[in-house]
Amino acid sequence: MSVEVLLFIIFNGLLYGMFLFMLSSGLTLIFGMMGILNFAHASFFMIGAYLGYQISLYSSFWIAILLAPLLVGYIGAMVEKYGLRNVHKYGHIAELLFTFGLFYIIEEIVQMIWGKTPVAYKVPELLNFPLIQVSGMAYPAYSMFRLVLSVLIFIAIYRILAKTKTGLIIKASLTNPDMVAALGHNVPRVFSNVFGFGCGLAGLAGVMAGNVIGTEPSMALLLGPIVFVVVVTGGLGSIKGALVASIIIGLMQTAAVSLEFNLNNIFQYLGYNIDINSTLNYFTNITISQLSPIVPYLLLIIILIARPRGLFGKRDV
Amino acid sequence: MNNLKIFLITIFSLIFLVACEKKETSNPIKIAAIEPLSGPYAAVGKDTIDIVTYSASVINKNGGIKGRMIEIIPMDNAMKAEKTTELLRKAIDDDIRFITQGAGSSHALNIIKQLEKYNSRNPGKEVLFLNHSAVTTSFTNENCTFFHFRFDSNVDMKVAGLVSHMSKDNSIKKVYLFNQNYVYGQTFKDAATRMLTKNAPNIDIVGDELIPPFGKVQDFNPYVTKIKLSGADTVLTGNWGPDAYRFVNALKDAGLKVKLFGIYISQPAGMAAMEKNLLFNDVIVVKEFNPTNLAAPSWYKEYEKGHIESVGFTPDADRIRFMFEMLKSAIEKVNSYEPKDIAYALEGMEAKSVDGGKAVMRKDDHQMHFDMQALLVSEKKDQSILYRGKDFDMSYVNVGNIPMEDITLDTSCKMLRP
Repeated sequence: MSVEVLLFIIFNGLLYGMFLFMLSSGLTLIFGMMGILNFAHASFFMIGAYLGYQISLYSSFWIAILLAPLLVGYIGAMVEKYGLRNVHKYGHIAELLFTFGLFYIIEEIVQMIWGKTPVAYKVPELLNFPLIQVSGMAYPAYSMFRLVLSVLIFIAIYRILAKTKTGLIIKASLTNPDMVAALGHNVPRVFSNVFGFGCGLAGLAGVMAGNVIGTEPSMALLLGPIVFVVVVTGGLGSIKGALVASIIIGLMQTAAVSLEFNLNNIFQYLGYNIDINSTLNYFTNITISQLSPIVPYLLLIIILIARPRGLFGKRDV
Repeated sequence: MNNLKIFLITIFSLIFLVACEKKETSNPIKIAAIEPLSGPYAAVGKDTIDIVTYSASVINKNGGIKGRMIEIIPMDNAMKAEKTTELLRKAIDDDIRFITQGAGSSHALNIIKQLEKYNSRNPGKEVLFLNHSAVTTSFTNENCTFFHFRFDSNVDMKVAGLVSHMSKDNSIKKVYLFNQNYVYGQTFKDAATRMLTKNAPNIDIVGDELIPPFGKVQDFNPYVTKIKLSGADTVLTGNWGPDAYRFVNALKDAGLKVKLFGIYISQPAGMAAMEKNLLFNDVIVVKEFNPTNLAAPSWYKEYEKGHIESVGFTPDADRIRFMFEMLKSAIEKVNSYEPKDIAYALEGMEAKSVDGGKAVMRKDDHQMHFDMQALLVSEKKDQSILYRGKDFDMSYVNVGNIPMEDITLDTSCKMLRP
């Protein structure tokens, strides 16, 4: 493998990893800290993308990136206040079913408003130029903008949770709600705010990614499972874990795509040749590149077996 | 009193007779259209149903078929195989004798297999399958049946057309195959490998990628990088939907200049997600006609105008129009509504094409054959592509004609004729 290939893997992997981090950082708070299995997390991401499109249509992308996440966060907080809070007392299964239903409702509403075909959500003109060149491959300024912004988001969340009083109250409300309530804090409100903040983060990710991957009603369905992989691999409630897991998955998947390697190569090295027309060849001929989409899930299974609390988690799944 | 009774009975019988008579003349020719109208493929299915309904309405406006109107009965299979099976059974129970379908080869195969059994067991009650867009080659080869007609060219023919055009372009030296990993993508890949080796020996295949299909890949950067490192000057792809438009956008973002050859890259439903990114690289697709040809004959312009008014977009395919026209000619020719007679009449029948080229239904395998054109997507020339309230400000430019002979391939079809 040449240095060039390695460089590309690192670059592409980092970009994709940070996208995954943006997408799943909100769920780390919601699932990891509050313990709510929010199946509809990617739906909030989708709402963010559509609102980003709609607002930038009437004003500009820069207003959209400020306003849309706030709106999504507000919607999220309302969902928690009027929906999830009532379901919470019936346990995790009820919550899961609730968010499962929510997922379909959001998808249908989005289709009703914006139609079934992708909408024309564009990268802002200001950042639509190639910024750097790596061996002939251009990386647009917008990708760099996303990279920088996601790093800033990570630092912000990390500092809020670790260093501020707000972070202390949030963490305490989740572990010792009765005690925090006794100290005069409004615990249900803390829950709403955390849920809303998590959804807002997903919304922000949607605004930033919708114009790159395409904004269409099935985007939530396709991104739904991967966010859980990130959160579980990183460790429940650990924002640092989510970052590391995202980057690992990004790098692994990008590396897998770049590898044109299959079992036939091993057999050939050992001196066997598999008949091209045999059934066995059907399996040994599959390259690692073709298996790249299952790489994150493979990682999930290995983590669950070997280290159920994830990379940086403090408790088991 | 008795007279009154007789009088009333006579009157009612007359009314009844008249009612029956009226029902007899307005008795429509029912065609079931099975397409996905819900789920992730709903956009494609909705477009298809709209086009089918419009094409049938044009026949009806001009007096129907021997006075009988065509009635399209849309059925939603949600892109699920078992739903297709169920709907086909329902259609048969409702005495519908014609089925049309296009989105998804797996569903088409399902219909072919079921009808093969049903038709052989129920002589005199056969059902005809008019396939307008399911392109997997085997339907007119080893899986061919007498009651299936395909009005679109199959994958092998489309690839033959693409390769025939590529072989004339001397700037193409290294080609990268980029396809979706399911039956259609694999068929495309196999056909491309076979035909490039045979018909374009001076073009090297420098890469061959099968990606997980249907929008599972969000990040195309690693693939673009691979293509870049392979040194390819051309990419040949059968991709459609998100797998096509994300790829086009990723190429633009990475600034990688290659020629893109394909079938469905410029599908109108995905154009909103690409817009002018589609022009960054030369995108060449093969079609049976040029949808933005201002010089098309006036009868077609009239058809197109109605299409834009009632369906809301520029016709992207012409095959559904001539499919209904051929059905009409076949019924008029044999003066029968029996699928068996119609099927015999369709064999070898010629269709009227937009740009004056040949178009004929081959008897041996019930595969439509027509002249094709290689079309380059360009800035707006005379007429632009419209799609549901959007003007994309782009046109197709004919960059080469592909005569029918170049895409006429042998068939392995051995059909049992009733």
